[in-house]
Parts: sequence; structure tokens; C-alpha cells
Amino acid sequence: MKLLKSPRLRRLRFNLVIFMAVIGPGIITANVDNDAGGILTYSQAGAQFGFSLLWTLIPITVALIVVQEMVARMGVVTGKGLADLIREEFGLRATFILMTLLLIVDFGNTVSEFAGLASGMGVLGVSRYLAVPAGAFVVWALVVRGTYRLVEKVFLIACVFYIAYPISCYLAHPDWTAALVKTIKPSVQFNSEYFVMVLGLIGTTIAPWMQFYLQSAVVEKGIKVKNYVLSKWDVIIGCILTDVVAFFIVVACAATVYASGYGKIKTAGDAALALRPLAGPAASWLFAFGLVNASLFSASILPLATAYYVCEGLGFESGINKRFNEAPAFYWLYTSLIVLGALTVIVLNESKQVPVILMSQVANGILLPFVLIFMLRLINRKDLMGEYCNTKTFNSIAWATCGIIIALTAMSAVANFLPGRIPIAGFLHWLRWR
Amino acid sequence: MIYFTELDRTPVFDAKGELLGHLSDMVVDASRDPLQVSAYLIETPQKDVLSLTHEQVQAISIQQIQTGVPTGSVRPYAPDEGLLHVRKDILDQQIIDVNNRKVVRVNDVDFDIQPTNGRTALRILAVNVGMAGIVRRLFQGVVAKRMLRFFASLFPVRTIPWEFVNLIESDPARRVKLRISFDRLARLHPADLADIIEELGRDEQKAVIESLDDETAAHALSEVPSELQTALLESIPTEKAADIVEEMPPDEAADVLQKLEPETSAEVLADMGKEEASEVRELLGFEERTAGGLMSTEFVFVGEKAQVEGAIEALRNFEGELEAIHFVYLIGDSTALTGSVPLARILLADPKTELRDLAIKPVISVEANADKAEVVELFHKYNLLTLPVVDDQGRLLGMVTADDVLEVVLDRK
Repeated sequence: MKLLKSPRLRRLRFNLVIFMAVIGPGIITANVDNDAGGILTYSQAGAQFGFSLLWTLIPITVALIVVQEMVARMGVVTGKGLADLIREEFGLRATFILMTLLLIVDFGNTVSEFAGLASGMGVLGVSRYLAVPAGAFVVWALVVRGTYRLVEKVFLIACVFYIAYPISCYLAHPDWTAALVKTIKPSVQFNSEYFVMVLGLIGTTIAPWMQFYLQSAVVEKGIKVKNYVLSKWDVIIGCILTDVVAFFIVVACAATVYASGYGKIKTAGDAALALRPLAGPAASWLFAFGLVNASLFSASILPLATAYYVCEGLGFESGINKRFNEAPAFYWLYTSLIVLGALTVIVLNESKQVPVILMSQVANGILLPFVLIFMLRLINRKDLMGEYCNTKTFNSIAWATCGIIIALTAMSAVANFLPGRIPIAGFLHWLRWR
Repeated sequence: MIYFTELDRTPVFDAKGELLGHLSDMVVDASRDPLQVSAYLIETPQKDVLSLTHEQVQAISIQQIQTGVPTGSVRPYAPDEGLLHVRKDILDQQIIDVNNRKVVRVNDVDFDIQPTNGRTALRILAVNVGMAGIVRRLFQGVVAKRMLRFFASLFPVRTIPWEFVNLIESDPARRVKLRISFDRLARLHPADLADIIEELGRDEQKAVIESLDDETAAHALSEVPSELQTALLESIPTEKAADIVEEMPPDEAADVLQKLEPETSAEVLADMGKEEASEVRELLGFEERTAGGLMSTEFVFVGEKAQVEGAIEALRNFEGELEAIHFVYLIGDSTALTGSVPLARILLADPKTELRDLAIKPVISVEANADKAEVVELFHKYNLLTLPVVDDQGRLLGMVTADDVLEVVLDRK
């Protein structure tokens, strides 16, 4: 019978199906990480310090992989979201405080996504009074009207558009050899501005909400323990891709803005504009397009993820497959995050948005240690993870990574609060002469 | 009524009025009384844990617990997995609300205080899942208890009576000791049961599926998304998986097996009954996106020369799901499909009527390798409930039912 399939073909197709069924969460999460705030930070890093911060991308990638791998593993093994696990292990009060902080942080981040959208669209010649409400509506409708499969497809396509950065970077004609050498060879500058920028890079790459989103996405996909290896690669590839994109952004800005001595940039749109005289209008346009894509992409995931895990942790019904009256808290949270986030960008002028975004980054830093410690305690619980607990070696790597992240974000939070950042400069000076 | 949150960390005094410690948990011994608190766990200032039996308790209020015995007679607590711990096993955990068919998270536990001749007993009344419980948890220890009672009462209360609470314990041995059964779940509609299963964690999902009877498990599994279907079937022992798949309609079974890892799928097939396995194997030969991949091999057919009584006989002997049968198919020599007779016409006709005269004309059928889209189109055009599937020689292979088509349409969206 010609309808019968050969076993080999079936095996091949089966593997393909499994691959498609597992791949996604890691790559999407990592790409959302390159959001408006991320692009701004990378642009600033390149514009202010040229290639000299490129080397930090490698350790940052490693740290990101270590952290993300743990949540993906927890999701696969337990089949529960991170907020669920925290609630079950640490009780309602800890969960509530954590969720409230996350809500505040994520609101700030949502504002920065819409600010990025406004800024990118500005370069493309669209008024923010048009771009922001339209963007907010598209984002809202996609999630409320679309199905999970459709949403995931749209997200994966959005990931592809990050190609705009390598192209725009290529158009900027950087010195590739110098860039690659600087990526591998660390070169540390001992001044507080450099130090603060390193902190900014770490802060923008490893965010608390990502851990919750990734774990929930892994659970939602129903990935089996057996296919965990694939899921791990999904995470690793995603993290590497993210930082490859970051590399191109830094290099593009280093080759143009830094090289021309233009100096500091305030918004990601500034970076796109600064590319124009040196790399041509196409590069500038692509950079702005990438920014718009990234902002929209993150603006659709962040409020959604936030609504999901806040409801999950507090025991409210959640999910886009539920109707409004079945999960009112979920829909109210989701809708207000988007509406208020967009309104903030429309109503406040740019200088007033900056404190909101800055505050959210500081809160990010305060929150991250708690999330990491909760994670590490959960993943070492034998009754929860069984044979998938951290090994001793992995534990020491994970604790060290988290320890460094915690120390650095704490310092970054302090640095953000102290005008002039004199203590850090003094401290570094002191370190240097010892 | 009193809440667990209010009793949590409450000071406990002995007969002399000296502080014994603070309440840290309550324990229910299901083998004695599934509702009554049998012991109170007390953390002493030295961080030891004592177990105060309910006979030793004189009075309970939100301010303090008074025992009637001296300190020396309270025994230290020996951890026992066979006891239900209110904090550890109920508070903050997910439970199934059998009445509303939902998975919910517990914010607080409500007790009834029953003073009886010099003693006080607590009985579990309900679990608290609403805002009032959340408020109580958040502000407990921060605001005075009486104030908090008033404050919490301003928020909506949502409780689930204990008799509708189904705890979820993934360890089967412990489930027996705690007298937890999933019997009530088996009485839910499979679609509701599937929704509940989707909400649970991995171990809990496995526990529920394993404890259900094969038929209920099969019905529930048919309703969950395919990723979860395969994940669950691969996590349970192969024999149990085979038993469950056996209970599914052959087309569903084939769909499921197609998505399992090839080795597992072969093992499951080998463990299934011969007849069921061969039916499913036949279906596995068809491409998923064709009419053959959609069809079921459970249908009713008789020879084209049969009369109404022959059709009724065939229906009586039919072993599959009768609900899905809307037509009796007629076959000629070499099993070619020659007609389809609606059940309603058979019902009303005289037993001796020739079935051929009752058949609807023309015969609408589809070839097994036709695309799914064509099947959908035929259903739409001819307003069908079922559609017979034939091979390239016109021989009857199976039929596609409307519910399968609905799934194709929804999937495409």
C-alpha cells in the first residue's frame, strides 16, 4: 500500500516534531531580553566605550545560561511554574511581596518598551501619539484574540527580525578584527563610569521576570523530562543568540558614534540617528526597525508574563484560554499594564519617563537576588527535583554566578542612588594602588 | 469558627499557666476521624516540637490555647507521613474543588470549635480560597487579631466545604494512609476532568491518571492537548498505558500512538489486546493529514442485500461507541461501499424493508488519501455528521465523524 510510511521516515518526522515541540521557550525568552532597555544599554556601551566592553559579553552569556538552564530544568521536572513553587515552599506572604515588587518592576519595564517603540517609530517618521496607542492595541489584541500557537509563531518570527542588527552593523563598516580581539581579550578600565556600564549590561541581561516566563513557557509546552536535553539546547542557543545580537549593537555604535566622538546617547532612537551620517540611512532605518520590533515583541510578552505569574502565585485563575469573567484578575492586570504603560509614554515627556525606567531598573536589581536564592533553594530540594537536583559542581558554579550577580546588582543599585558615584571611583582607585 | 492563620503561632499554656510554646501545625489522623484535629504541634522556645493530643486541650481561642495537663506529660513529636498536616499538606497547596470542577490554591483553613465537657475539639469545615483569606495571611501578626477579623470581613469570602475538597497527593502509599481517593473525579465529565489535569503539576497529573479506571482515564486523556497526552502516557508504566489506549476509540488511539516515541508506541501496541491493536495498526498506516488519518474504524455495515432487521442485528452486535453511529453502511461484493442508510430511516421502516430502498443517494464518500481540507469541505457542503472513507477501489475502510472535523477546523485557526 503506498499510503504506508517507511519506519525511517516516521522516525525522522517524529524527531522533527519533537524538535519543534521543545524549541521555542528558551529562544523567545532570550530574545525578549534584548528589549528596548537592552538595546539602549548596548548602544550606550558601544557609544561610550567603543569595543572595550565587548569582552564582558562572554561571561554574561555564561551566567545567563547557568541561570536560565536551572529554571528550564525546574519547569520540565516539576511541571509547575516558578511562582507556584515559591508559593508552595515559601508561603503566601513571601510570594505576595515578591509579586508586588515584580509588578512594579515590570510596569517600569513595560513603560520602557513603549518608550522604545515611540523612539524607534520617531526615527522612522511616525508620531508617538499614533505609534504608541496602535502598538498597545496590536499587542493587546494579539494575546487576547490569538491562540497560543499563533502567538508563539508570531514571536518566533519577531526573533528573526533581530537580523536587522547584524545588517545594520555590517553597513557601519566596523573594524571586525579589532572587535573580535576585544571580545576575547579583556581590557578593564578603572573608572566608575566603565564600572557602572558593566553593571548595566548585566542588569539588562539577567532579569527576574525572565525566570518566571521561561519556566511557565516550558511547562505550557508540556516538555517531557526525556526531551530535556533538547530544551537545554534551546536555552543555550537562545542565550548565545541574544548576546550575538548584543555584540552587533555594541559594535555598530562603537564603529560610528564612538569613532566620531559623538559620545553619549540618551535614547535608543538617538543611536539609530547617530548611525545615519556614518553608516547611511539604511543602517539607521534598520536599527530603528529592530528597535520597534524588539519593543513590540517585549511589550507583548512582559505584561502577559507578569499577569500570568502574579495570578499563579496568588491563586487567581489565569490563562488566555479563559474568558474574561472566568479570570478577571488576570485580564485586568494584563490590560492595565499595557494601557497604563502606553499612557505613561504618551502623557509624560521623555525627561519624565527616565526616572520611571531608572527606578524599575533599580528595583530589578533589588529583586533579582531574592529570585535567584529562591531558585537555588528550590532546585536543591530532593523531594521536588529527584535526580535532577543540581550536582555539587553545578551548585558551586550556580552559587558563584548568583553571588557575583547579586554583589554587582547591589553595587549598581547603590551607584544609581549616589550622585557622582564618588565612593565607587574612590574604591576602585584604592584597589588599583594596593 | 476559627481560622488556621489565627491559631498559627498562638501561645500555648500548660496547666500551671506557664508558656509551653507556640502552635506550629495541626495534624489530622484520617484513620481515626478524617475531620477532627487529632494533635497540635507546638514549637517550644528551645525549638523542639511537641505533639499535644486533642484530649489534652482544654480551651482554644484566637488569643491562646490552654492545656489541662502539666508540661511533662506532653510528648515530643515524631514525624509521621501517615498524618495529614494542615500547614504542610493543605495550606498554600493546590486542591481540586470537586463541586466547581476547578483546581484552586488554599489560602486558609476554617475550623469549627466544639467545646465538650471541659475539652475543646477542632473540626475542619472548609478551605478558604478568596481574598479574605489572603488578607488574613498577609496581615497576621502585624495587626491585632480582632482588628484583622473585622478588616478581613470587608473582603469577599470564598470557601470550599471540606466535603468537596479533593487533596492531591502524588505518593500512592501516602494516599492510602491519608484516605485520599480520586473516586469523585471519575464522576466528573471527561472534559472537566481534562481541564483539571492540565492545571496540575507533573507528579500530580501522573498520580491522577494512574488512579483512575482505564475507561475514565481514556476519556479524560482524549480531551487533553496532545503534548500532555504523550507526556502522561510515557510517564506511566507501559501496561497501564496500553490498557488506557485500548479503551480509546481506534482513531484517537492511533493519533496518540503516532505522537509517542516510536519505541514506546511499539511497546504499547504489543501490550494491547490483539483485536484493538490490529485496528489501530491499520490506522497508523495512514498519513496524518489525510482522510485516512482522521477516520475511525468503528462503524456498522451490512451486505447490500440485507433488510432492516439485518441492520438492527448488526447494531446490536456492534461493540464500539454507539453514540458515534448515525448511518449503517451497505457493502457489495469485494466490500465496496454501495450505500449509506440513516438510522432514523431504519428506525421507522418495516423490518422486512430492503435497506437498499432506504439508502440516501448519491453515496458520498472520500478516498483515504484525500487531504483533510477536502474532508472539511465535504462536511460543509453536504451538512454531514459522518463521512465514509474508501480506498482507491471504492472499498469501505472507515468513517470520519463531525467531532474530528471540528478539531481540524479549530486547529487551523
